[in-house]
Amino acid sequence: MGNAIQTDILCVGAGVASLSAAIRILRTLKARGAKALPRVMVIDKGRSVGSHVLSGLVFDTACLKGFLTDEEIDGLTSEKNRNRPFAATVTKEAFHVLLDAKHSLPVPWVPPMMQDKGYPVGSLTKLTQYFADIAEKEGAEVYTGFAATELIEDGNGRVVGVKIGDKGVDGKGAHKSNFTPGGEVHAKCVILGEGGCGILTNRLIEEKGLQGARPQSYAVGIKEIIDVPENKERNGEIAHTFGYPADMATYGGGFVYHTSPTQVMICYAYALDYAHPEVDPHSLFRLFKAHPTLAGHIKDGKTVAYGAKVIPEGGYYSVPEVVADGALIVGDGAGLVDTLRIKGAHIAIESGVCAGDTLADCWERGDFSLDALRAYGAALKKTDGWKQLKRVRNVRAPFSINTLLGVMAAGCAWATFGAFPFWQVPMEGDAEATLPLRGGRLPEAPALPGGPLSVDKLTDVFMSGTIHDEDQPCHLRILDPGKCAECLKTYGAPCLRFCPAEVYRLEDGRIHVDFSNCLHCKTCQIKDPCHNIEWTFPQGGDGPRYTRM
Amino acid sequence: MHVIVCIKQVPDSTKISIDPVTKTLMREGVESILNPFDEYALEVALRIKDEKGARVTVVSMGPPQATAIIREALARGADDGVLLSDRAFAGADTLATAYALTTAIQKINPRPDLVLFGKQAIDGDTAQVGPGVSEDLGFPLVTYVRDLKIADDGTYTVETVMDAGIDVLEGKLPAVMTVVKEAAVPRFATLAGWVRAKRAPVTVWTAKDTGADPARLGLNGSPTKVVDTFPPPVKTGGRVVDASKDPAAGVAAIVALMKEKKLGVA
Repeated sequence: MGNAIQTDILCVGAGVASLSAAIRILRTLKARGAKALPRVMVIDKGRSVGSHVLSGLVFDTACLKGFLTDEEIDGLTSEKNRNRPFAATVTKEAFHVLLDAKHSLPVPWVPPMMQDKGYPVGSLTKLTQYFADIAEKEGAEVYTGFAATELIEDGNGRVVGVKIGDKGVDGKGAHKSNFTPGGEVHAKCVILGEGGCGILTNRLIEEKGLQGARPQSYAVGIKEIIDVPENKERNGEIAHTFGYPADMATYGGGFVYHTSPTQVMICYAYALDYAHPEVDPHSLFRLFKAHPTLAGHIKDGKTVAYGAKVIPEGGYYSVPEVVADGALIVGDGAGLVDTLRIKGAHIAIESGVCAGDTLADCWERGDFSLDALRAYGAALKKTDGWKQLKRVRNVRAPFSINTLLGVMAAGCAWATFGAFPFWQVPMEGDAEATLPLRGGRLPEAPALPGGPLSVDKLTDVFMSGTIHDEDQPCHLRILDPGKCAECLKTYGAPCLRFCPAEVYRLEDGRIHVDFSNCLHCKTCQIKDPCHNIEWTFPQGGDGPRYTRM
Repeated sequence: MHVIVCIKQVPDSTKISIDPVTKTLMREGVESILNPFDEYALEVALRIKDEKGARVTVVSMGPPQATAIIREALARGADDGVLLSDRAFAGADTLATAYALTTAIQKINPRPDLVLFGKQAIDGDTAQVGPGVSEDLGFPLVTYVRDLKIADDGTYTVETVMDAGIDVLEGKLPAVMTVVKEAAVPRFATLAGWVRAKRAPVTVWTAKDTGADPARLGLNGSPTKVVDTFPPPVKTGGRVVDASKDPAAGVAAIVALMKEKKLGVA
């Protein structure tokens, strides 16, 4: 304990939520002329800031007013900023319902709740880097390549810090010549901004009973960046789709964004409460890209980057209690995603700002008690993002029954300001929604489209830049290898397909885990029907290296 | 004892591609890293520090962003660092780079005991700057060092990796050495190390600060001109002798071929 690093505020995960909190605390206290400023540390397991974040991103900038300066807001889109997060503004938008592999219905008007015209569109990785630069200018310290692997609690169950993962441990768990113990960081308050399905966050939620009314449900988002021949006219054009290749009982949709005259982002998100264990979301992504509605957007292009991440889309009813003794939960880790607008970054920022306000007060009063921290939960509920979350609280659940029902319910929910369907629609956990194989055997996999843009999984994984030191303990633990045979028989071992990085491989009837492919998306931890996979932390700095996701 | 390590910021080689038209590196979105071979040189220096309490200074030349690798070296345990950053240095070839680094080294300490380099940088792959500095400093040069032992009287024994095997050399400091991968597994920077490095000042020198002769810097001081870069031609042809069914016949066919081509067969 004596060698622990002492800080005042520790943010776990350098995403926009954490960084907003860091900026807000320091700015607020400076504006109030505080005598001393707290030490604010932000740590992230990625090799550099933003290397583990992934989003669309059509960005609702309203959350920045009064938080960032006008100059900083201009810098997001200004051509003078060579590394600007947003090189395009939405100029044209469309919404298509994909009926099957060939047909689609354009929705003649984009539903008001989904209109994006005028919003900047670009990269969350770069937005995160932009926020990190501001945070560091304000005096926060941002350290990457360090994974917080455990929360430390005092005798009263209050979170007082984190353990940092060791480095230089070999595959058998022995110390290598460069073994480096991770050590501990102690703080007056820990902000958990780990993103969707945060491991420490979920452990805390479970241990302290902070769960929301419904279990969190997730979708896995699979995304590519495609370089296309220059087309200035399409810059800023976006399209959202719904339906195919998802079946009618599964929530699935995608988008294509022209984020510069030569770059297109394309993504398909598939809800993890899907029933059929034979489904491979990456195959669906390939079918999606080949659909005539999408194919024109990426014609003659070349895939240059790939990534995958889970999106918490349970919404309002799945948001946990966001305050624990000594810890605040912000952003995606708290499930703050508006499923209807498919947006979370703005609520993540709002939650960070609220956390920052609360902690600035705590610092001034010298009171970080649980009661003082609770102000964050109250402030969060007053934000526009939260009100929107409440308004769409019943949008997601009906989709888990049937897509058409979902579309109708979404409209009704919107029209009635969220009151419809007047009761809380129950939802199963994602893993529990998995059914045994129909007829006890795997159906034949769908024929996949050919062509240069129908990239196979391993080629995609290469383009994610993911890298792990191969001589370290496997961070994807199969808790009971004996269960795998049973799972193979009943479910056909869905891990072989749901993983968007081909981490799991069947050889001689046994499951092999190629952990070095891992994209840290957490799909396996969420979707394994036998709850037999535990996602733990690999060596800090390992994992995907997104540069413009 | 004072060890100076020269380090370079390079584009991450796992992510680079070449623009087919301009034949230059496409750097957009490519991360910059500490040259991997320099990590081994730094580790060798830090081990000397651990054993003998040497002072370790890192020196680099590059744009202002290159302070990142100086900080990384400080986080791992280097004592101080200097960055040469000035428009006057831009466009330097290996000769001008070696000269600029030499002026900086001489300003830091006219009599350092040891100056270390990685065997080469992964972007230019020239392996010339270390030898150039040895010439400019007038220090003996040892290249491709995989093991280094220094006695208290300043005599050293090194193992160097040569084409034909390992050379074992003895000498007396000062010296310039370039280091290969086998020399040492680099340590990780600890979080505490980074916390220290984040706040540590990094000295930045311009050409004026080192008193270098402007005529020997940057493009002016660089006789090397890159006329063209191109991938080497792909080797074609080759013949496969399938010996899976009849190994003896396969061997006979290969021997006959070697005789025909006069390839080392009497």
